[in-house]
Amino acid sequence: MTRLAVLTLLAVLPAGGTAQRGDWPMPAKDYAATRYSDLTEITGANAGRLRPVWSFSTGVLGGHEGQPLVVDHTMYVVTPYPNVLYAFDLTREGYPLKWKYRPAVDPNALGIACCDAVNRGAFYADGKIVYNLLDGHTVAVAAATGKELWKTKIADLSQGETTPVAPLVVKHRVIVGASGGEFGIHGWLKGLDLETGRIVWTAYNIGPDSQVLAKPGTFKPFYDRGTELALTSWPADVWKNGGAPVWGWMSYDADLDLLYYGTGNPAPYNPEQRAGDNKWTASVLARRPEDGTLVWAYQFTPHDSWDYDAASEMILADLTVNGRPRKVLVHFDKNGFAYTIDRATGEVLVAQPFVDVNWAKWVDVATGRPVVDSAKLTGASRGNVKEICPTLEGGKSPASPAAYSPRTGLFYLATNNMCMDYQATEATRIAGTPFIGANTPYHAGRGGYMGAFIAWDAAAGKKVWQTTEPYPVWSGAVVTAGDVAFYGTLDGWFKAADARTGKVLWRFKVGSGVVGNPITYTGRDGKQYVAVYAGIGGDWFLLSGDVRSDDPADVRPPADFMPEIARHTSQGGIVWIFAL
Amino acid sequence: MDLRPVALALVVSAACRGHEAAPAMRHEARVFAGGVAPPAGAPPASENPFRGDRQSAAEGERTFGVMNCDGCHGGGAVGWAGPSLRDGRWRYGGADGDIFQSIYYGQPHGMPAYGGMLPPTAIWKLVTYLQSLEPPANVPTESWR
Repeated sequence: MTRLAVLTLLAVLPAGGTAQRGDWPMPAKDYAATRYSDLTEITGANAGRLRPVWSFSTGVLGGHEGQPLVVDHTMYVVTPYPNVLYAFDLTREGYPLKWKYRPAVDPNALGIACCDAVNRGAFYADGKIVYNLLDGHTVAVAAATGKELWKTKIADLSQGETTPVAPLVVKHRVIVGASGGEFGIHGWLKGLDLETGRIVWTAYNIGPDSQVLAKPGTFKPFYDRGTELALTSWPADVWKNGGAPVWGWMSYDADLDLLYYGTGNPAPYNPEQRAGDNKWTASVLARRPEDGTLVWAYQFTPHDSWDYDAASEMILADLTVNGRPRKVLVHFDKNGFAYTIDRATGEVLVAQPFVDVNWAKWVDVATGRPVVDSAKLTGASRGNVKEICPTLEGGKSPASPAAYSPRTGLFYLATNNMCMDYQATEATRIAGTPFIGANTPYHAGRGGYMGAFIAWDAAAGKKVWQTTEPYPVWSGAVVTAGDVAFYGTLDGWFKAADARTGKVLWRFKVGSGVVGNPITYTGRDGKQYVAVYAGIGGDWFLLSGDVRSDDPADVRPPADFMPEIARHTSQGGIVWIFAL
Repeated sequence: MDLRPVALALVVSAACRGHEAAPAMRHEARVFAGGVAPPAGAPPASENPFRGDRQSAAEGERTFGVMNCDGCHGGGAVGWAGPSLRDGRWRYGGADGDIFQSIYYGQPHGMPAYGGMLPPTAIWKLVTYLQSLEPPANVPTESWR
C-alpha cells in the first residue's frame, strides 16, 4: 500500500481512530505512567482564572477512583459498580451523550470487593474501550457505537476475586489482574487477546516457577538467586491463599519490552500464619507482555507485617543518579519509602522515606532489604503493637497515582500522615469471606495534619516542597508543561498548585471528596481543559461511614480519628470539567 | 442444586408469620461461605431460643470473628464494606427469623450464605450477639460545634 493510500484510509476512519497529542487515551496518559501533559495554556500566571465549564452526575454513589479518557473529542467515563460506561460528545453544546453502555454485573461482587465498589478506569486501543467489571469480567466496547465487542470472565468471585483494576493494552495484549488480598486469593496477571478477548496467558505472582512463569535463563532478579523463590519463601500450601493481588497501575517500556506492575499484600494480615519472605507479594514484577514471562522481580517489603501493598504505579523516567544517566522506575510504596530502581535490572539505586517511617530504619541498597525495627513486627502472639508509621492506608495510597514532569524533574503526589496500632489475630480461610486477621486503628502523625501534597526529587531521594492538608489526600496528580499540578482533597476541594513552589493557585469545591485522578486535554476549540471526578469512597467510605446518607438501614458513627469529615462532604458522583 | 422448593417454603412461611412476603429469593445468586450450600429443606425457625442470654451472645461474638463476619461488617458490627448491624436498622428485616435467614441463606449484594458452614444453633447465637449490641451514641443525629 502506498503512503498516500494509508493516509487516505486514516482520514476515513470512524470516530475513535487514533489518539492525538491533546488526548488522554490511557489511565496515566502514556505508557511511562507519567500523568504529564505538554499542554501549556494554563500557567501559574492564569490558573487563578480557572472556572467550571461543565458537570455531570454519574447517577452512582461510591468511590469515583480512576479517571476519564479523552480520545477524538469524546470523553469516556466508567462509574463504580454497576460500571456504566458513558461516552460524551465534546464537540456539541452541553457535551451530550453519544451512548452509554450498561453491563450486567453480578451484585454479589459488592460483598467480595474489600474496599468499596470502585473502578480505576478504562483503556482506549484500536477503536475499543477496554475495562473491567467489578464481578471478574473484562469487556471491550466499540468506541464509536457503545456496542459490546467481547466479554471475558477473568476472575472467580467465589474465591474472593474482584476486578477494579484498569487494564493496560500493549500491542495486541490486554493485561489485567484481580483484587482480593483481603480474601486469600492466589494472585495473578493475565494477558488477553485484544481482538477476541481470549485469555492467552496467566502468570501467578506466587507459587511454583511453572505458574509464576519464571523460566531458567530468563528470570534474573537482581538480589535473589536460585529457583522456586515464590514457593520456598512460604510454608507448604500456604501460598495457595497467599494474596498478591493486582489492583494498582501498570506501565510499559517499549525499548526493553518490559511490563511493570506491583503486587499487593500477603494474606492474611497476621504474618505468623505465613513464615518466610512470601515472594512475590508487596513486590514489583517485570514481565514480557506477549507471553507473561517473568524477567525480574524485587520485593519492597519481605514478609510484610503491616499490609504494605506495592500496588502503586511504577513511573518510568530517565534521571541522572549519582552522576550517571539511568533508565529508572520510580515507586512510592505504601511502606513510606520512595524507590528509584534501574528498570532494566531491578537494582535499587535510591530508597528514602517520603513520609515518617518507623517500621524500618532504612533500606540497604546493597541487599535490597529494609532494616526492620523488630519492635514494630506484628503477629497474633505479639499483642497490640503500638504506633507504627505509616498506616496500612500507605504513606501514599496506591489508588492515588503520582505524576512526573520532565521539565522540573520532580514527582508530584498525595501523601498520608498517619500512624496505626496493629493487633493481629488468627484468621481462618473460608472461601468467599474475608481473610484478614488484624484490627488497626489510626491516628494523625507528627504535626497533627493527616495529609499533604508534595514534590519529590527521585534522583536525590529528597522532598522539595510540601503543602499540608487537614485530611489524608487520596487523589491522583497531573502536572503540565505550564508547570501547574492539580490534585483534589477528601473534603471536596479541587486545587491547582505551582509545580515549582507548591503554592496553591486556585481551588474549587466540587461537591464530594476527591479520590479520582485529574486529567487534562485539548478541546475541539483548541483550549486546554482539566477534568476530575468528585465522589468520596474507597477506603474513606469504610473508615468514615457517616459520609453515607443513601441507606436508612445503614447509619454509622463518625471515624474517631477524623470525626468532622462528614461536615465537609458526603458521597457523590460528579464529572467536572474546568477551563480558563 | 435446585433450591426453588426452599425458596417457596420461605416465602410461604414469611407470609404465614404475618410479615410482608419477601420477593421470591434466588438462592443460586448467593455466595456460599466456604463454597458449601445450605442444606435444602432446613426448618426456617422464627423465634430466637437464646434471646437475651449473655453466654450465647458471647459465643456469638466469637463466631462473628472466627467466621470473618467482622471482615465485612467491621469490628463490633459497626459497618465496613457491609452495612452496620448495630444501628437498630435492618435492610432485610430485624425480626429474629429475618436475621437468622439473612445469615443462613445469605442476601443479595454479597452477604454469603452460612447455612452450609454453621449449624442453626450457632447462627441463633450470632443473632443473639447482634441483638445485644447498643446503637452508637450519635445515631441517628450527628452534630458539630
